[in-house]
Amino acid sequence: MSDPVSELNRLQRWMQSVITHPDGVAAGIDSDSARQHIDVQRSAVEEVISRSQALDSIERLHVYGNAYYARLIECMGGEFPATHAALGEEAFSGFVMGFLQVSPSTSYTLGELGRAFPEYLASSRPPREIDGPDWADFLIELATLERTYSDVFDGPGEERITLMQADDLLSIPPESWGDARLQTAASLRLLTFQFPVQEYAASIRKQEEATIPQSAETRLAISRRDYIVRRRPLAPLPYALLRQLQQGATLGAAIETAVSNAETDVDMSTFAARLQEWFRSWTGDGYFVGVDLESDQSVTK
Amino acid sequence: MVTARLGHPHLGLGVGLRSVHYPHILKEHPEVDWFEIISENYMDSQGRPRYVLEQIAERYPIVMHGVSLSIGSTDPLNHEYLHKLKTLGASVHAHWISDHLCWTGVAGRNTHDLLPVPLTEETLRHVVDRIRVVQDVLERPFVLENPSSYVTFACSEMPEWEFISRMAEEADCGLLLDVNNVYVSSVNHDFDPIEYVENVPHERIVQCHLAGHTNCGTHLIDTHDGHVIDPVWELYRRAHQLTGGMSTLLEWDARIPEFPVVHAEVLKAKQHISDELESPQGTPRPEAAKRSHAEDDVDNHISEPVVPHPAVLVAAEVE
Ligand SMILES: [Fe+2]
Repeated sequence: MSDPVSELNRLQRWMQSVITHPDGVAAGIDSDSARQHIDVQRSAVEEVISRSQALDSIERLHVYGNAYYARLIECMGGEFPATHAALGEEAFSGFVMGFLQVSPSTSYTLGELGRAFPEYLASSRPPREIDGPDWADFLIELATLERTYSDVFDGPGEERITLMQADDLLSIPPESWGDARLQTAASLRLLTFQFPVQEYAASIRKQEEATIPQSAETRLAISRRDYIVRRRPLAPLPYALLRQLQQGATLGAAIETAVSNAETDVDMSTFAARLQEWFRSWTGDGYFVGVDLESDQSVTK
Repeated sequence: MVTARLGHPHLGLGVGLRSVHYPHILKEHPEVDWFEIISENYMDSQGRPRYVLEQIAERYPIVMHGVSLSIGSTDPLNHEYLHKLKTLGASVHAHWISDHLCWTGVAGRNTHDLLPVPLTEETLRHVVDRIRVVQDVLERPFVLENPSSYVTFACSEMPEWEFISRMAEEADCGLLLDVNNVYVSSVNHDFDPIEYVENVPHERIVQCHLAGHTNCGTHLIDTHDGHVIDPVWELYRRAHQLTGGMSTLLEWDARIPEFPVVHAEVLKAKQHISDELESPQGTPRPEAAKRSHAEDDVDNHISEPVVPHPAVLVAAEVE
């Protein structure tokens, strides 16, 4: 005697295998993944799926087969508009098809669908033919940037808390500065790229003419303010400093590490002034939510 | 004795909330009776969608409509998902929470489609059991919608109207009657849409959906990308007459026009309802719906692949 739910289960597993087959529903019906659930020939598929007056069983299944890929490709295009534009419709669809074979959605939300796409592009990149950054690197970086935009847009943000202002930093007693740890905003992401991918992505989002940029070392701070994703390109030294701070270093240690790791000598005569300038713009961008003073009194705004 | 709409309020004529309309709604505060939200777009949001929803929920009644419950799947129910639904329901004071009679995937996967179930006694038992669990968790009125579908199963043992009637009675849940889906499925599966509307338990119909679809000649696809066609209005009039009125919502999910166009579309329902009330003896015109397929012009401008709803993703806004 058969278990009724397992009959339903067999039918569902069969149908899912058929309609998600990358070569179409007819190939899906013939596939082992479908036949292990219901072993039916194409010619006999009416035993499972009835025909209508206008369409036969395979034509009807085809509606779902078409829709599965078309829907998910469309969603991915919505999340990765610049990657889509750079690749063109056909190549982008091809990559998404390939991606869905290895990373089909397992979440109730489409918001998770694209999470592993940059990684997929990286894992399927062609061998390098030139020294230095190539076209594949550009695409991988562009997809990484766009996924970061999604995460920052709908992830945790600081809109409902009072952020640190430049004046709050100045109110830290000078003797406490060195040991102070700044708490960075949850929305803040620091990313390095070999291409200015943010410029290309911005042109596409503004529906402007966009050309593939020359490679150039790019360091970005991406954050959210007033529910909109913001990005700020940074020079190597302030980027290194901000990164140290985000990783929890004290101000003193962060400055020391950033300066000593700098590839070019840091002009210390102007450093203090530059430091002030950076912190003014960073607080303006809402990168800091509070400060822990070593004496365990924390100033959280 | 079951009361009309299971005793739930008649919210009037509402519109499905879509992110392209956020600026208009926040600025103009249009006089819409209520909004229906896609639950999955807000339940995890810690950004603008959730923030906008909170503002809208302060002004308008909200109903939650989901696409991922997968009540018909043989995979276990996702309790994390259910608890998130419940939490969102409490925070926006949702009048009820709905989803579709469908499955979205099996073996841990989500196709993000609303796939039909075989209409068998076994499926009925399976679905009824799961609705009871869902209702216990949600502790908020739960309503299921008839989906549009494109295949039927050889093993099915009853018409869809019978399945959803028995399902609603046995699980004691509400129904969301999507008259466009009834119409789309009636053409795709060669059944009489009027018979369907006449035979579902009217006092359990809490809400109604209206939408546009695409006519592919040999079949219809539920694209939610246009105006409601006359044969669907005809079914709406009949449903209105039989239920005594139900909260009515227009869905527009692709090629979405400006908000006032979408709103105007649902407001057309007023005309249909008043015509209905004025017509002598309130007689419906079932013939019109039956011959409606011919009135539904084939869309021969189709250039892109025709994708049935749902495809709902809120794209990031970047400076
Ligand atoms: Fe609907």
